[in-house]
Amino acid sequence: MIALEIAGLSKTYGSVRALDGVDLTVEAGTVHCVLGENGAGKSTLCHAVGGSLTPSAGSMSLFGTRYAPRRPKEAIAAGVAMVHQHFSLVSTLTVAENLRLLRVGGLAARLERLADRYGLAVPLDETVGDLPLGVRQRVEIVKALLREPRLLVLDEPTGVLGPAEVDALLTTCRRIADDGGAVVLVTHKLGEVARVADVATVLRGGKVAGSGLTDLSADNLIPLMIGRPADDLAPVLAGTLGLSEVVVRDERAIDQAPVLSLRDISVTRPGGGYLLENVDLDIAPGEIVGVAGVEGNGQTELIHVLSGALVPDAGTVELAGEDLTRATPARRTAAGLGVVPEDRHHEGCVPELDVATNLYLGRLGEYRRFHVLLDKKAMRSAATAVIEKHGISAPGPAAPMSALSGGNQQKVVLARELALDPLVCLAAAQPTRGLDVGAVDAVLGRIRAAAAAGAAVLVVSSELGELLALCDRVVVAYRGKLSEAIVAAAPGAHDKIAHLMIGATA
Amino acid sequence: MSAVLEEILSGGVRLAAPLLLASAGELVSERAGVLNLSVEGMMLTGAFAGAAGAMVTGSAVAGVACALVAGLLVALIQAILSVTLRADQIVTGITANALALGATTYGARLLFTDGSSLEGFAALPIPVLSEIPLIGPALFEQTALGYLAFAVAAALAFGLSRRFTWGLAIDAVGEDTLTADRCGLPVRLIRYAAVLLTGATAGLAGADLALAEVHAFSDNITGGVGYLAVVAVIAGRWRAWPTVLACLFFGVAQALQFAAPAVGLHVPAPLLVTIPYVIALLAVSGLVGRSRAPSGLTVPFARTA
Amino acid sequence: MIAAVRHPVFVGAVAAIVAACAGLLLAAGAGTSPAVAVDALVEGMTGTPYAIGSSLNTAAVLALIAAGFTVAYRAGLVNVGGEGQLCVGGVTGAAAGLALPQGVPGWIGVPVVLIAGFAGGAAWASIAGLLKAKRGTSEVITTLLLNFVGAGVLALAVHEEALLRQPVTSAETLPQSAPLPPGARLPLIGSIESPATLIVVLAVAAALIVALVLRHTPTGLRLTAVGHSPAASARLGLGVARLEVGGLAVAGGLAGAAGACLVATAPYVLAEHFSSGYGFTGLVVGLLARGSLTAVLAIALLFGLLTNGGINLQLAAGVPAASVQVVQSLLVLLIAASMIWTRKGAR
Repeated sequence: MIALEIAGLSKTYGSVRALDGVDLTVEAGTVHCVLGENGAGKSTLCHAVGGSLTPSAGSMSLFGTRYAPRRPKEAIAAGVAMVHQHFSLVSTLTVAENLRLLRVGGLAARLERLADRYGLAVPLDETVGDLPLGVRQRVEIVKALLREPRLLVLDEPTGVLGPAEVDALLTTCRRIADDGGAVVLVTHKLGEVARVADVATVLRGGKVAGSGLTDLSADNLIPLMIGRPADDLAPVLAGTLGLSEVVVRDERAIDQAPVLSLRDISVTRPGGGYLLENVDLDIAPGEIVGVAGVEGNGQTELIHVLSGALVPDAGTVELAGEDLTRATPARRTAAGLGVVPEDRHHEGCVPELDVATNLYLGRLGEYRRFHVLLDKKAMRSAATAVIEKHGISAPGPAAPMSALSGGNQQKVVLARELALDPLVCLAAAQPTRGLDVGAVDAVLGRIRAAAAAGAAVLVVSSELGELLALCDRVVVAYRGKLSEAIVAAAPGAHDKIAHLMIGATA
Repeated sequence: MSAVLEEILSGGVRLAAPLLLASAGELVSERAGVLNLSVEGMMLTGAFAGAAGAMVTGSAVAGVACALVAGLLVALIQAILSVTLRADQIVTGITANALALGATTYGARLLFTDGSSLEGFAALPIPVLSEIPLIGPALFEQTALGYLAFAVAAALAFGLSRRFTWGLAIDAVGEDTLTADRCGLPVRLIRYAAVLLTGATAGLAGADLALAEVHAFSDNITGGVGYLAVVAVIAGRWRAWPTVLACLFFGVAQALQFAAPAVGLHVPAPLLVTIPYVIALLAVSGLVGRSRAPSGLTVPFARTA
Repeated sequence: MIAAVRHPVFVGAVAAIVAACAGLLLAAGAGTSPAVAVDALVEGMTGTPYAIGSSLNTAAVLALIAAGFTVAYRAGLVNVGGEGQLCVGGVTGAAAGLALPQGVPGWIGVPVVLIAGFAGGAAWASIAGLLKAKRGTSEVITTLLLNFVGAGVLALAVHEEALLRQPVTSAETLPQSAPLPPGARLPLIGSIESPATLIVVLAVAAALIVALVLRHTPTGLRLTAVGHSPAASARLGLGVARLEVGGLAVAGGLAGAAGACLVATAPYVLAEHFSSGYGFTGLVVGLLARGSLTAVLAIALLFGLLTNGGINLQLAAGVPAASVQVVQSLLVLLIAASMIWTRKGAR
């Protein structure tokens, strides 16, 4: 039985075609994966199905009847449930209050059934904002299943989950399909597809690049996703795509004294407890150290302590012998500490301003005329040189950052931080998140080159494969603590780290 | 001394009645994410319409009905502007107040020319209870509108509780419109309802001023009481019972102005007038307790994906 | 074609026509023929040198406040507190002016009053700025509240002899300050019959300087960056707190200077309602101008003309001045309502 049938769906924003004549058929009782790189149109497709946006052309039908939701409410009424990439929970309300907003009868009985059937138990009386991301995701799924939907759509649900949580989620998807429901899992991770999908559809550039695929091997899917053969892929990209076989770089001897030292760093949580607890970390020049872990285990705070957005309650940050614990971001930059923040749009750049400003905002004093006026011309010509050097695809230095693709935005941010002279240390948080394959390649190449040139490098990532391929050593963040460092090239490193990520002692 | 105290209390509660009405509606509206600065204009229009209605029909009850409709009309304008057209809530609020002030002043020139007193509401003391010393006159010697104010404030304070789905829904819309929308809540409808509710209660508050307090309409009769209602919500940190308390306290502070000279106390009036705003400032800046405005306050809702 | 229909100037013109029609209806309601009403209005706006002068003075007050508003707005802060800053600036300006000796020369007296007004307004706004920077309290709410506290400060100052009230000699002594010494009064510019003062020059200069700073200096770009993204600006080494407090202080300072100018204009006294609500009108001018200083000057001029035209409408034609207030607010509401439409056109 056909659960969802989409025919010729298009969505245009001005001259941009986010979706271009997409066809999709989802059978009941199956898990259907929709694959694609960032910008392929996956989220737009989800929004169209969920009633958040009205398509420009095309039609949909749900279990044989015409389906054209104009708002989320209509989608819900038709039996479609969405699990959004960005959570749709009110963070100031408790879990129970969020669930009650759905106004379904017999809440307690339904929750019990979900807990029995899928093992989905949620802490009802906790405030959502206080919960770890993994638990919030579970609440989100419970919320979606409460109304017993006929079609469940999950948009990139595994981004914030650890390996064990991903397993649980995929199992849940499988069970729902086995119970006769239809599941659409939207993702860019091939590893998940191979494990759970019955059928896959690949989107590229808003169009269907492959449909009704049952050969779910990476060799088959990668060329459809990126438009070129899989052999081109650098080994590290396999990690980013969530493939299981990862090529680990060779072990190197690091013999220099550490240049970045974190000593006994603690950050307390406002409500009690620790966000970071007695963290020690040393990185030597030329060394790349990775921080693995499920999101929300202190990585964000660690980067904030380095960038100066957060002053730790205890401990010290030293760079080349200088105490930077309480230094302003400007002082840190001057000392040679570059930081690529996790949230590119919020902290990494000012999307509304032009590329040149985003490159030189911290150094406007160097671009002056008549002592007081800003020399925009000089700034823009300097920016043009950077754009060319880093292969950034942008209309020009005066184009707003928001006009650039995610990958090119990240290249601008990275170019800015790498331009520090001297660059003593580079800390990058989730540097490849949301980037297409080509950009991942470029960004990781730049990070490697920085290390080769003698910078100490810290990379925070939730993609274990990526870290193993990139780093010399990996530490694992769990509940605000960092584990002992694990040499990435050591045998069994992958399993050991995966264990530490869920709090098991290796 | 106790007579003076009794007078301050009863005067305070009487002055708090319009505040209670207006801030009860305003609280709902702000919890739903719409900052109705135009509550001042709603009250003023309500007072005008109440006075005009009472004058034309000779019935105070008809006046109250007119006030209700007038408050709703101003609220409808505010709702169309800030919810449907997503216009800036501060500009539209302040300007709606200016419009109401101009229109009612203009109307008063044409309508209220003889300056005679209006048919209004008299106090309805409740037997026995109003004899209780100190608080008796304050609580049990109100006009019908005064009792209504208590009832409305209590009903809204109770109804906003998160035990009820509508209380939850209002908070969800005020915190995060997109999430509320994805939960299937009718975001615009809820915001419209909240703003219109404010219009209704503010219209009644205006009627209370014109028909139960002054028994006449004068230019700018509200003179900032509407803003004071907004301030009470801020001082009450967007929670129901503290807002009610703030209203009562503000009423007593006002009554003190009139009573202070009687006991030979020289407190400069401007100081007393300023107290509510200073309290609200302390409350909102977190110097007294923790305070957090709804995250979606003044943020318009647009479903752009 | 559609682009033309959506152009802000076109939309503004339509709004103006609608509001004007409403105005004529109001005049007719008061028993005045449209021709008489229009005559009286125009007479009051620009009919005499006196009319032009007082329209310009009002426009200048609004332009000063709106120019300041634009600075803070660029840093992402909405300064709702112009009214309170105006009041406090008037108080500090008057205090400074009254402290000067009677024979003080103008080149000392006028700057002292202006600087005192600026400082008072800036300090008042900085309260909100510091609360925003240190505690994250919404400046919309704090500046709104500070308006009322500022009005209280003003009332206290003019009611208490220990502060600025003139010596009380009889029951008829008004609660206002003594007149400023001649050297502390703003000099007139232009012809003898025109009341236009130095404030007109100050307002234009302030608008020009603000435009230059915002568009062509590093400080302007830093303010813009903070306005768009405080987090990213902090990461890039900008002093976000300093820029926010500074932006709001300049907004308050210009409003305070406007208050001092009002006190230093005939009748040269500080009185309880000297602000005439200009702080709120200035805010509306600033918000409607959407960051353009040209628009600030143009809208301030329009509002100045309308205000003075309205006064004459009442005096000469017997139409309540309130009807001009109605027209003005209708105009603002229509423009605010149409912004969703003009914004789409701009895209």
